[in-house]
Amino acid sequence: MVVDMDRCTGCQACVVACQAENNIPINTETIFLQRRVIEWIWVERYWEGEYPHVRARYIPLLCQQCDNAPCEPVCPVYATYHNDQGLNVQVYNRCVGTRYCANNCPYHARFFNFWQPVWPETLRHHLNPDVTVRWRGIMEKCTFCIQRIRRVQREAARDGRTLQDGDITPACAQACPTDALVFGDILDPQSRVAQLAKNKRAYKVIEDLGTGPNVIYLKKVDPYAPAADHDHKH
Amino acid sequence: MGITRRDLLKLAGVGALGAIAFNGCRIPDRELRVESPVALPEDQVTGRDNWYATLCVQCGAGCGVLARVVEGRARKIEGNPDHPLNEGKTCARGQAAVQALYHPDRLLSPLLHGQAVDWETAMAELAGQIQQNRGRVLLATNPLRGHNALVAQTFIQSIGGTLLAYEPLEDTVLRTAVKGLFGQDTLPDYDIARARTVFSFGAGWLETWGSPVRWGRAYGAFRQGRPGQRGLFFHAEPRFSLTAANADLWLPVRPGMEGVLALAVAYVLVERGMAHPPAAAQLTGGQGLGALTAYQPERVAAAVGIPAERIREVAEVFGSQRPSLALVGGSALAHTNGLFNARAVLSLNALVDNIGREGGIRFNPPPPAGWTGVPPAPFARWRQALEEMRAGRVGLLIVRGANLIYGLPVDRGEVEEALTQVPFRVVIGPIADDMAPYGDLVLPELEALEAWGTDWPEPGPGYQTVTFQQPVVRPFRDGKAFGDILLEAGKAAGLTLPWQSMREAVQDGARRLFALRRGAVRAADEEGFFMGVLQRGGWWDPQATGQGRFTGERLPATPPAPQFAGDAQEFPFHLVPFTPLGIHDGRGAHLPWLQGLPDGTTTVAWQTWVEVNPDTARRLGLLEGEWVEVISPRGSLRALVYVHPAIPPEVVAIPVGFGHQGMGRWANGRGANVFSILAPLTDQETGAFAWAATRVRLRRTGQRQRIPKFEGVVRPVQLEERPIILVTKEA
Repeated sequence: MVVDMDRCTGCQACVVACQAENNIPINTETIFLQRRVIEWIWVERYWEGEYPHVRARYIPLLCQQCDNAPCEPVCPVYATYHNDQGLNVQVYNRCVGTRYCANNCPYHARFFNFWQPVWPETLRHHLNPDVTVRWRGIMEKCTFCIQRIRRVQREAARDGRTLQDGDITPACAQACPTDALVFGDILDPQSRVAQLAKNKRAYKVIEDLGTGPNVIYLKKVDPYAPAADHDHKH
Repeated sequence: MGITRRDLLKLAGVGALGAIAFNGCRIPDRELRVESPVALPEDQVTGRDNWYATLCVQCGAGCGVLARVVEGRARKIEGNPDHPLNEGKTCARGQAAVQALYHPDRLLSPLLHGQAVDWETAMAELAGQIQQNRGRVLLATNPLRGHNALVAQTFIQSIGGTLLAYEPLEDTVLRTAVKGLFGQDTLPDYDIARARTVFSFGAGWLETWGSPVRWGRAYGAFRQGRPGQRGLFFHAEPRFSLTAANADLWLPVRPGMEGVLALAVAYVLVERGMAHPPAAAQLTGGQGLGALTAYQPERVAAAVGIPAERIREVAEVFGSQRPSLALVGGSALAHTNGLFNARAVLSLNALVDNIGREGGIRFNPPPPAGWTGVPPAPFARWRQALEEMRAGRVGLLIVRGANLIYGLPVDRGEVEEALTQVPFRVVIGPIADDMAPYGDLVLPELEALEAWGTDWPEPGPGYQTVTFQQPVVRPFRDGKAFGDILLEAGKAAGLTLPWQSMREAVQDGARRLFALRRGAVRAADEEGFFMGVLQRGGWWDPQATGQGRFTGERLPATPPAPQFAGDAQEFPFHLVPFTPLGIHDGRGAHLPWLQGLPDGTTTVAWQTWVEVNPDTARRLGLLEGEWVEVISPRGSLRALVYVHPAIPPEVVAIPVGFGHQGMGRWANGRGANVFSILAPLTDQETGAFAWAATRVRLRRTGQRQRIPKFEGVVRPVQLEERPIILVTKEA
């Protein structure tokens, strides 16, 4: 996935689209007060500077689907593993809730179900039947909407089509009004993500840790940035 | 999920009883295989889904959406990729339509004097009341467009009465300005995607203003859609909103001074010879710079709160980096001089010669014949309506989506008194909102995803567009659509109305479009055409564009000064109310996804907060999470302090939309209602509610709690030595 921070406005359409697609428990006021909010993709806002030269910087963050994922080796029950397409998969029915993976994730992209998720009976009608509802004591995170990936792959196989760039879209990228989020096959040199990854603004978040993240960010452009802001070189 | 594969087959065999017969609901046999007990999430695949194109009604923009229906239940909303307004995209609010549909507190049956009755009894009662009160009916609704508007207007015409639309944050000022400057009854479109400079005054176009998903599409292209050419965006607003946060430069203009700031920019354009000569002549009455002396940047800098050199800097860019575009909205129009502000800002567009051009203002045509709208009536008109009720001139009040008791800036007692003078009151809505206790008859309305309708988006995409709304699921509750209630009760009362039902009205509309023989849907016959518009989600004709020209007149030599309620000594702060991303003006307050959506700048959720500048907070000894009393000349409310690093010291800001009495478990009694402390000032010329013209003071209560916010949920990863947000000056 490529995230263009110069397009992102922080509107959080992606956040609610993800909650709708992936049966994420309702974040009640109590949950907020406990700081146990679950948002597989979330928009982080950081303040910079002092009034009147204040900047608010937005960054959408999600599981980076690392090649060398710190969450994987620490799981004692092999609940998080790497599949053959490079995704970090969380197997809910293996997870025993040690939370070692969350401890080890430098992006803080893993969320733990401290409580049994509760929906009023009627709201259960809109739950997505393609996605498991996670139990109390289970770790969860962004899956790149694996159910959508599988659905498209299956339908393509059934119809004898080859997949085209843009066929598979996670819920967040599908909702994003500004096209800040783009999803595709980085190994296909013709794909939009591969093209965008060549942009001179491209970087990966804290990649010096050696995690090998698979989400590529494009720098925010700020021609009027205060003098304190300078290009961060890698 | 509690649904086994066997259940699923049973369900699929029956099929969902949607308004349209499903087909292909069975899972093909080749796809059925035994589930492995060690199934991984990536192996999970369940039933087939169906997609229906329909209309989003979560705000007034009118986007086209697709509803994903599995097993007869609406599961997910996606944007309709064919729809010219939002091109396949949605916002956070649009996603929440499924929560509105399956809200646990939806009304289960009609209520007559508080007692549950069946529909037959309810409709007989309503029909009787209509018969008795011919000529004395007031129909109060939310702003309507399309067939809801048409049916409401037809109903009112045949019975003799008044139809008034209500919206707490009305757009009367903008409409009046557009009519005065361009001779247009419909709001124009802004070609942001192809502009090089956008200068907006108070318009939260990346949040809730106008058509936010459409503007969002444009914003992406404006910034990064043209290789080597990145658009520049300046934003003037007294509050640091999410839109301001995305601007290259934010100008913290003093409340009510937006028009003066715009004319200071105009002064620089004329002075530097950058202004389009005919427009400059029009606006200065042929006098040139002399007519604008009062607006020289050095002269007005202190009053508008922006240094003169900064005004000159942005004006230079605005004049030279064309096409440039000036937008106005939000709190800039909510002052006693709101219309002046609107005219001043919109006139900038003429000075940079963008009227009707690429990257500028593009006019929308009127909708096709048969499509009408009911825009919100100004606050002054509503005050008059309250008078009429109090004087006993209204015999029957029908309320649908017009939350008068919640949003009108007059004392609750005054509205109550007016309501109680009306012999019979009907409240229509899917959920019992603040108005329901005043209804002698309360009628459960269907949610948008269960009902028929049409809409024409305003502002539209620059050409004629009609969106079709169809039921995507069988009604989940025993309700009736708003139009059906009017048509059925009207018919029972002996009125002659052209349609039996909303579906018939919508089909009639499709017939009219078919007869035009143009546009994006073609078919051999009417039936095929109707199916076609339902499948596509609507009809549009990119050839049918709008026309308009600039007819602005000479600008006032001295600007009208904004008036404020409350003495500056006693009430030291300007109160700037704003619509939060999620719950909007309160219409989304009953939906947990929207209540639980972290605010765009403060990240607060679920509670009413007040944004206070850090220096002000230090001076008053306020800490984050402290409960303060915000006191205006009209009343007071309690809110949680959020120390906001980017709000001007003389301003405090509070989100609207909280503090409902009713609207279900997630909205009822939650937070405080800003409208209850706003003074009833109006724009001098239009009578529109000046909701940003109230001054307040803060009083400590000594109580403090943790504030519900998203900030801090994830431990900070943006560290000085290891930043995660990288910035470059080069586009």
